[in-house]
Amino acid sequence: MPSDVDQVRNWVTARARDLPPGGLTDDLPLWEGRHLTSLHLPELILLLERLRRRPVDVEELTAGDFRDITTIAATFLDTDATATERTTAP
Amino acid sequence: MTATSAGGGSGARAGRGARLRAAIAAVSGTVDRLSEVSRAKYQNPYAALSWPDSVDPGADWFFTPEITSLHGTPHQPEPDSEEFRRFAFLEASNFFSLNIHGEKALMEGLASRLYRSDLLEISDYLHHFLDEENKHSVYFGGFCRRYGTLYRSRNIPFPAEGDRSVADVLFFAKALLFEEHADAYNVHQARDERLHPLARFINQAHHADETRHLVFNRAIVQALWDTHAPEWDAATRDEVRDRIGQFFVTTWREYYNPDVYADLGLADPWQAAEDAWNAPSQRAHRRNYSDRCLRFLLSTGILQKEPADAF
Repeated sequence: MPSDVDQVRNWVTARARDLPPGGLTDDLPLWEGRHLTSLHLPELILLLERLRRRPVDVEELTAGDFRDITTIAATFLDTDATATERTTAP
Repeated sequence: MTATSAGGGSGARAGRGARLRAAIAAVSGTVDRLSEVSRAKYQNPYAALSWPDSVDPGADWFFTPEITSLHGTPHQPEPDSEEFRRFAFLEASNFFSLNIHGEKALMEGLASRLYRSDLLEISDYLHHFLDEENKHSVYFGGFCRRYGTLYRSRNIPFPAEGDRSVADVLFFAKALLFEEHADAYNVHQARDERLHPLARFINQAHHADETRHLVFNRAIVQALWDTHAPEWDAATRDEVRDRIGQFFVTTWREYYNPDVYADLGLADPWQAAEDAWNAPSQRAHRRNYSDRCLRFLLSTGILQKEPADAF
């Protein structure tokens, strides 16, 4: 069973544009690098709500909350992404 | 979006402006006719409808059961049960809520384009468009606040970035998708004699104005695409097409709202949303309801393939 952070990593890998040759890393700037756009957010929020089993307060969000995998994990999953190695292939 | 067109100097910009004005002028006859009809059909939303003191969600249908988001899925309530009617009422609230959120974004985008120099020819109609969207929100908001729930949106309006020509195409393409899908639901439900008269009225009133918006949306999207797309580089055209494809996903996802399923009492509303999204019957429903819109976008070359993630 993939961890919650792995599920986010897999989701981003499946949708991101123009990932670098080395693939997705936890500190890759997803929005600044234009790998994801605001159009991906509703689906990403649904995934995060499903993983944490509680709603996300959408009105309080800023683009910075989704900066990279590390930030997403810390903000929404109360998880330190650096402590969770990828356990499944993307 | 970054570098978007070959030759970005002031001469090129002036050329694009002139071509856009010519393209807009070519559709101005249509736009003038739409403005005349809007004036003839002008409606006061505060007088057109008498709101009942209360409604009975367990007794009456407020949403056509066959087009609810759990229809044909393992989570669907028992057919013709009080629970199904309660669920259909929640679906009506969600449908009206997603229309409120969509129209709010639409009104913001329309207001920001009023009297822009290259769009002057359509400013009269933009006034009607804005006015009619605001009236629709009066109906939708009136229903949700009186009897139901105003459900939240998961769309986040972070500031748009990039080239104005790209932003224009994306804005009107998004409006086209949002309105064509909502209108398909309106048409179906306005004709459904099982529905409570209030639900039928709101769907019919919305459809009556949307018929003009749909004509306008197609005309303006085609004019903007034909003007701007030939000047974009291939990477920009691909990115715009990707984003329009993603609009289908974001538009449809709002019809599968876990907050509705939580109010229905489902134990895991997020999993129910995922199950419903992936159910074959729901995939077929989405493809069917997107058909007219897809045919337009494919036949004009705006899209080159169907957005697989949406169906």
